[in-house]
Amino acid sequence: MSERRTWLMTAWVAGLFCAAVAATLLFHHAHATANDPWKSPRLLRLQAELAASPKDERLKAEIRTLDLTFRQRFFRQRALDRAGAWLLLAGGLLFLGAARRASALRPAAGTPPAAPGFSGEAEDGRARWAVAGAGALVCAGLAAMGFFQNPPDVPKSAAVTTAPAAALPELPPHSEFLANWPRFRGPDGSGAALQATGPVAWDEAGQKAVLWKTEIPAAGFNSPVVWGNRVFLSGASAEKREVFCFDAASGQLLWRRAIEAVPGSPAKSPELPAQTGYAAPTLAADGRRVYAIFANGDLAALTFEGAPVWSKNLGVPQNQYGHATSLAYWRGRLIVQFDQGSDEPSASRLMALDGATGQTVWEKPRKVLGSWASPIVVEAAGKTQIVTAAPHSLSAYSFADGAELWKADVLEGEVTPSPILTGELLCIVSPSDKLLALRPDGSGDVTQTHVAWTYADNIPDVTSPVSNGECVFFVNSGGIVTCLDAKTGAKQWEHDLGTEIQSSPGIAGNRLYIVATDGHAWVLEAGRAYKELGTGTLDDKFYASPAFAGGRLYLRGSARLYCLGEK
Amino acid sequence: MNQHSKKDAERGLRRAVCVVIGSLLLTPTAWGEQRFPPPDFEGGYQLPATSTPPARAEWFQYLDGAVLLGALGLALWLVYRRRSRRGVAALSLFSLAYFGLYRKGCVCAIGSVQNVALALADPHYALPFSVLLFFLAPLLAALFAGRAFCAAVCPQGALQDWMLLKPVKVPGWLEAALGLIPPLFLGAGVISAATGGGFWICRYDPLVPFFRFSGSAWMLGLGVAFLLVGIFVGRPYCRFLCPYGALLRYASAAAQWKVKVTPAACTRCALCRETCPFGALREPREKPKSHTQARRRLAMMLCLVPVWTGLGAWAGSRLGAPAGWFGGWAGLVIGGKLAALAMGRPQTDFEPEPGACFACARCFEACPEERLRRGWKPEEEPKA
Repeated sequence: MSERRTWLMTAWVAGLFCAAVAATLLFHHAHATANDPWKSPRLLRLQAELAASPKDERLKAEIRTLDLTFRQRFFRQRALDRAGAWLLLAGGLLFLGAARRASALRPAAGTPPAAPGFSGEAEDGRARWAVAGAGALVCAGLAAMGFFQNPPDVPKSAAVTTAPAAALPELPPHSEFLANWPRFRGPDGSGAALQATGPVAWDEAGQKAVLWKTEIPAAGFNSPVVWGNRVFLSGASAEKREVFCFDAASGQLLWRRAIEAVPGSPAKSPELPAQTGYAAPTLAADGRRVYAIFANGDLAALTFEGAPVWSKNLGVPQNQYGHATSLAYWRGRLIVQFDQGSDEPSASRLMALDGATGQTVWEKPRKVLGSWASPIVVEAAGKTQIVTAAPHSLSAYSFADGAELWKADVLEGEVTPSPILTGELLCIVSPSDKLLALRPDGSGDVTQTHVAWTYADNIPDVTSPVSNGECVFFVNSGGIVTCLDAKTGAKQWEHDLGTEIQSSPGIAGNRLYIVATDGHAWVLEAGRAYKELGTGTLDDKFYASPAFAGGRLYLRGSARLYCLGEK
Repeated sequence: MNQHSKKDAERGLRRAVCVVIGSLLLTPTAWGEQRFPPPDFEGGYQLPATSTPPARAEWFQYLDGAVLLGALGLALWLVYRRRSRRGVAALSLFSLAYFGLYRKGCVCAIGSVQNVALALADPHYALPFSVLLFFLAPLLAALFAGRAFCAAVCPQGALQDWMLLKPVKVPGWLEAALGLIPPLFLGAGVISAATGGGFWICRYDPLVPFFRFSGSAWMLGLGVAFLLVGIFVGRPYCRFLCPYGALLRYASAAAQWKVKVTPAACTRCALCRETCPFGALREPREKPKSHTQARRRLAMMLCLVPVWTGLGAWAGSRLGAPAGWFGGWAGLVIGGKLAALAMGRPQTDFEPEPGACFACARCFEACPEERLRRGWKPEEEPKA
């Protein structure tokens, strides 16, 4: 056998070996993708049985054994993949070496005929036509994408318009907006309603102070929005997104509206952890319309009677937990903070939309990773500022045109708590790191110049602070409540409630409300000394934040919406 | 943010990450992290403390810079002074090992474009010294002496070069049309980086997963496709996708020192053209038969440049401002390419086209005049 033939045979054998290894690995990949252990029918059945009989030790042992089996299988597959990769590398090197050697031993080809005269004009002509054709394809592709995203005959972002904006009465005065609870944590997003009041104690079993409670038709972590005699919530699954309106007086479900036929809405929702779900962001209301955003990027406006006004899809947010940033509203504009990306900034942006039409007033790209904090709108330093929090910056934008006013690189980790304005300072939590107060009157990078004070003990990772102007209160997930002087950051008191808390605290009048996940609640005096005014218990799980309106406290549980007040 | 269990959310994240990574890791080289969340231990089990590996020492970036400059200098010496294909091939193997397998494709000149774009757009972004060096050094070298960086220093180029076994010629018209992709990708990557849309050039680099033994399934698949195509088509990524290559191509077109097949007189035997696997050898060209027609054609193409630019900008603008900028850039690239193709530069010898030549040194050894000049006997012909 000639040397070349030997090398050729070697190359063929190595190539076939590589193909076999690659096929095996691909088969394993496909098999593992199709058999997600978390969707194992046996595991799902056992989980359902355990939910029905949570004390069944036999079931627990069986689940643990199954879990161990899955883990062992997983690590076996990993080892197999690693070995396969090395085999592929070795086979590939052998293939390359043998093939190159065989190629080098190939008999030399005959000398190509020399071409005495080269014009090249014909070839250039063909190349020009090819480039022109490719260029036309590029331009046509761009135009087609633009056309399908924004059809010219349909007003931008108004594809669902059954109640023309012109048919709605004028917006109520801004004072009415401030008197209601029109967005996450109240009109200014601070969580405080200093002119309001609320109950000091309640008890679900005895119905003490529970004015009404009503079942919520679909899951969601968003908090109640209250305007006049209406309470709004949203709920969603991977398949369906809905907005609910309840009668504030009786708790009766007045209407529910599915958000459907949204232009550009993806056929399939992203796969998200149940702990965030598809309806985490809180709605916003302006007295005539209520606005809702969902984890698949659908954004919709409905009238207070539930009629669709407009809807649009902002694109599926690339967010590892799922989109949870609530909407903000201010003087006719809906503010959407749409941060995304887990490894690198990816199409994060801040938008101001016209509430009546959904048209974009301005849109600013943000070089930040995904965040879960909600924006607030504040009047500070003579300007209307939109304050946003995200890794790693607290940033303020002009409400007028979206220009960045200032930013401070002070935030670490997964930014979930929202900022608040207390007196003349902005307070923001850097999760599990520190609480900071900043003066909002700077420009450019204010990291080194505008931090008024910081505090670093028992810092929350999820909940936002609340303030009555004199003190700042915050509670961490372990249940430790801390009170600081709002101007200096000096600690006034701290108290361990000894329970898990995921809901942000709220203030009504001089009362500080803290609701634990298990339904226990504390009403404390919002002052410089720890004083318990009362407690309450409800039979539900609580993650959403309290809403105060009309002397009542609204709490969203996992299953029910509660209205609490003095009977 | 609505308040829900942080711990639960962390578990949710782990699940989401596990599902995504788990679906990838059963590919040949896609190592995942945990596919499952850790179990909730009971009975006082102490979870081991999470440890964070220390950051890479700062002096390493100076080492990377020194290796880059050394390799670049050596490549230029091997191409222009030694005229050694064997030397270029050996250096490319070193670069593949150091910049590819050891440094895992990062820092890399190709991706550095985005860092520079971000630094120009965002005054708060601090551009690392090593990244700036990786961006500038190959570009400056190309401005003076062509694409020696591609020949022997770029690990992506080296990987493809070693894969090339049985080169086939790509028709000129197809080469010209596909050659539009690198500058378009460059524009998209720069605009995306500058506007906070992410580093697309890194995200969609199909060859880096091989250096890292890790990557998404479809990127690995794309990388495999490029390597398989690369057995027959020389350096498909470099020629038809690499955005930094587009920059180097523009810079090399104005290079002061150009690669020559031989310093001796060209006999127009066309052997060098047959040897070049990248279609970079330009044939001798006579002057156009009609100067008037050629000039008229060139004038028309130049007039069409703003038309193409405007058309592209208009087509992209419906998708938003960044897409409008991209469309404008695409139009400019297309119009410019058409104008370049209308120039019809006459030449008397076979010469590598400066922008397209990777300075791989293959043609030196195919040239009979060069062999004579160097005194090679047939049995001493070097192989690489």
